[in-house]
Amino acid sequence: MIIFSTKEVSKTYANHKALDKVSIDVEQGTVFGLLGPNGAGKTTLIRIINQITAPDEGEISFMGEKLKLEHVHQIGYLPEERGLYKKMKVGEQAIYLAELKGIKKSDAKKRLEYWFNKFDILNWWDRKVEELSKGMQQKVQFITTILHEPKLLIFDEPFSGFDPINANLLKEEILNLKDKGATVIFSTHNMESVEALCDSIALINKSRKILDGKVDEIKQRFKKNEFEIVIPRQNDIKDMLIDEVELIESSYSNQTQVSKLKIPKGLNAGLLSNILSRTDLISYKEILPSMNEIFIETVSNE
Amino acid sequence: MNKIGIIIRREYLTRVRKKSFLVMTFLGPILIASLWIIPFFLAQNSETQSKILVVDETLVETNGARTSLYLDKFKNNKELSFEYSYDIAEAQNQLTEGKYDAVLEIVKSNDMPPIKCFLFYSDNEPSLSSQEAIRSQLTNIFKDHVLTYDYGMNEADLKWFNDPKIGFYSKDIRSGKDSYKEIKTALGTISGFLIYMFIFMFGAQVMKSVSEEKTNRIVEVLVSSIKPIQLLMGKIVALAFVGLTQFVLWVLLSVVLIFGLQSFYPQTFSEPQKENITINERVISVDKFETASSASAEVNQIVQGLFSINYFLVIAMFLFYFMAGYFLYASLFGAVGALMDVDTDGQQFTLPITIPLIIAMVCFPIIINDPSGVVAFWLSIIPLTSPMIMMMRIPFGVPFWEIALSMSLMIVFILGAMWLAAKIYKTGILMYGKNITYKEIWKWFKYKN
Repeated sequence: MIIFSTKEVSKTYANHKALDKVSIDVEQGTVFGLLGPNGAGKTTLIRIINQITAPDEGEISFMGEKLKLEHVHQIGYLPEERGLYKKMKVGEQAIYLAELKGIKKSDAKKRLEYWFNKFDILNWWDRKVEELSKGMQQKVQFITTILHEPKLLIFDEPFSGFDPINANLLKEEILNLKDKGATVIFSTHNMESVEALCDSIALINKSRKILDGKVDEIKQRFKKNEFEIVIPRQNDIKDMLIDEVELIESSYSNQTQVSKLKIPKGLNAGLLSNILSRTDLISYKEILPSMNEIFIETVSNE
Repeated sequence: MNKIGIIIRREYLTRVRKKSFLVMTFLGPILIASLWIIPFFLAQNSETQSKILVVDETLVETNGARTSLYLDKFKNNKELSFEYSYDIAEAQNQLTEGKYDAVLEIVKSNDMPPIKCFLFYSDNEPSLSSQEAIRSQLTNIFKDHVLTYDYGMNEADLKWFNDPKIGFYSKDIRSGKDSYKEIKTALGTISGFLIYMFIFMFGAQVMKSVSEEKTNRIVEVLVSSIKPIQLLMGKIVALAFVGLTQFVLWVLLSVVLIFGLQSFYPQTFSEPQKENITINERVISVDKFETASSASAEVNQIVQGLFSINYFLVIAMFLFYFMAGYFLYASLFGAVGALMDVDTDGQQFTLPITIPLIIAMVCFPIIINDPSGVVAFWLSIIPLTSPMIMMMRIPFGVPFWEIALSMSLMIVFILGAMWLAAKIYKTGILMYGKNITYKEIWKWFKYKN
C-alpha cells in the first residue's frame, strides 16, 4: 500500500527552481531513501512533506487523502540541523514537543518514561539540555521525534553526530519502528546506511528526480554482468577464458587467484563448464554495483 | 489543549521563572518612584523668579482706616517676588499683558478660615512648588494674625489651627478653568514612558526569543507541528501576559513599598499631630505647623488635580495604546528576529524600528510644552509614535476625532505589521547561513504560501 506520494511537485524560489515535477511513491512499512547531492532539493521536498512550505504545483497525498494540517500528528520529523531549547529541562521539553504533536501531557509522560528507560537516560529528566553532550542531545531529540508514534517518520541525515555505538543503536531503533509498521523517509549522503536500511530510494539531482525504485531492482538495472571467480593458484584463469569474456583484473593470494570478469549474458554456463573441466572452482558470484557507484554514475552522467 | 495555548503557556512560564524577571519586578517600582521624584526635584531648582501680584479683598477697618492683613507680609525669595494691589480687574489686565506671572486673589469667606484664595495665571501655571510656597506663606500670615489679634480662640479656631486648610485654587485666566498642568504632565509623561519602556523591553524579548529559536534550529521542529504564524502569535501574546504580570506586580509592590515606608517613617507621612494649644506655646506651635501644613496641602493639591482629569478616558486609552503599541512593535521585532543569524546581528533591520521609538522619546519635551501643537498632532496620529505621544496628550484633552483617527490608524497598522511579520518570519526562520538583504526580503513577498 502506498502511504505517501507526491505527484509532479514543483517549487520555485525567487531565482531558482528547487523542485521540478518530482513524483515519489512511498510504500507503507518500508524505509525510503531520499538521495541526492547537496542543494539538489531534498530539504525542500522534506519541508513540503512536513507542510513547512507549500509546493507551487503538484499533489501530495498521505494515507489516501490529500495532505492536510491534521496530518502533522501522524508525521515525525528529525531535521538535519538539530536543536532543542538549551535552557529548558529535558523532560519538560520532551513533553512540550509531544503536546504540540497532539499528545496529552499524562500520556506523553508515560511514553517518555518508557523510552528514557530503554535508552537508560532516566536520570537526565531534570537536567537542562545545555548540560548534555551533543550525542546525548541527539538521543533526546530522536525520542521526541518518535514519541507520538507517527505513521511516517522523516529523518534527515540521522546519523550525523552520533558515535558508532549510538549510530548502531539508532539503526536498530529505525528497523524496529519499521517492523512495527511505521514508514520511514530517510535522507542521507551515507550510502552504506542506504544499503543497510533502505528498501527503495529516489535520487534527486538539480531539482529533478533522476532515478527511483526498489534498491534490489535498481542494482539489477545497473549491474554490468561482472563476476568474481576464485580458483586455486596453480591454474591461471587466462587459459580458461572463452571468446567474448573479458578479464578486467586478477590478483593472487597465498592459495588462490581472484579474478573479475565481464561475462556477456548467456555465456556463463559455457564459461563455467570450461573452468570446471580444468580446475576446482572455489567461488563464483555476481558483482552488483554498490549504491555509492550507482549514485556517482547517475549523477555524473546528468 | 489548543496549540497556541500550549505555546503561550511555555513562553509565559519560562519567562516568569527567569531571574531577570524577578530583578525587573523589584527594580521597576524603584525606577517609577524616581521618575516621580525627579521632575519635582527639577522644578524646585528653576532659576527664574516668578512675579506675583497679591490682591487683597479682606479689608479690615481699624480706626476708620482701611488696612490689609496681608499687605507687605509675603516674603520675597529666589523663586518668588510679591507686589500688592486692591483692584482685581486692573490686576487681571496686567496679568494678561504679561506684567506679572500670576495674580493671587484673597477673598472673604463665611467659613472657617474666613478667606479663600485664587491664583490666576496666563501663559504658564506656576510650578507646584511655587504654589506650595505661596500657600504656606499665606497660612502662616493668617495664623500669625489670629495669634496676634485674637486671643479668644473658640473650639473651631483651635481645630483649624491643628489642621489648617485654606481654600486655594489655581485658575487659567483665559479659560477660567483649573489646570493642574504639572500633574497632567506627570501623568502623561509617566504613561507615555511606561509604554515606551514596555515596547522596548518586551519587543526586544520577542526578537531575541525568535532569533534564539532560529539559531538553535529548534524552530524547524516546531513548525513541523504548528504553523509559523501560530508560533509567532503565541510568543507575542505570551510576552504581553508577562508584561501585564510585571505591571500588576509593580503596582502591588509600589503599594507595599509606600505602606512599608509609612510604617517605618510614620512622622513623614502621617497627619500633623493634634495638640491642644495654649497661648504660651504659640510661638513654638507656629514653627511646627509650617512643615505639617505644607505636606498635607501638597497632597491636597495633587488630589484636586487628579480629580480634574478624565480618569476613565486616561485608563482606557492607556490600556489601548499599551497593548496596541506593543502588538505593533512586537510583530516588527519578531520579523527582525527571524532575519538574524549566528553571525549577523540584524543591526540594519533593528534600526528602522527603534528610530520611531527614539523620535517619540526625544519629542517628549516638545509635547509637554505644547500638547496640541503641530508636532504633537502628527506624532500622535502616526501609529509608530502615537502610543507614546497620544498618551502624553490625553491628560491635557484631545479632540475626539483625533483620538478616533489615531486609534483606527493604529489598528490598520497592527494588521499590516502582523501580515508583514508573518511573511518575513515564515521565510526568515528557515534561512540559515545566508546574508539577508532588503532586496532578498522583497522577493519573499512574491512567494506562494
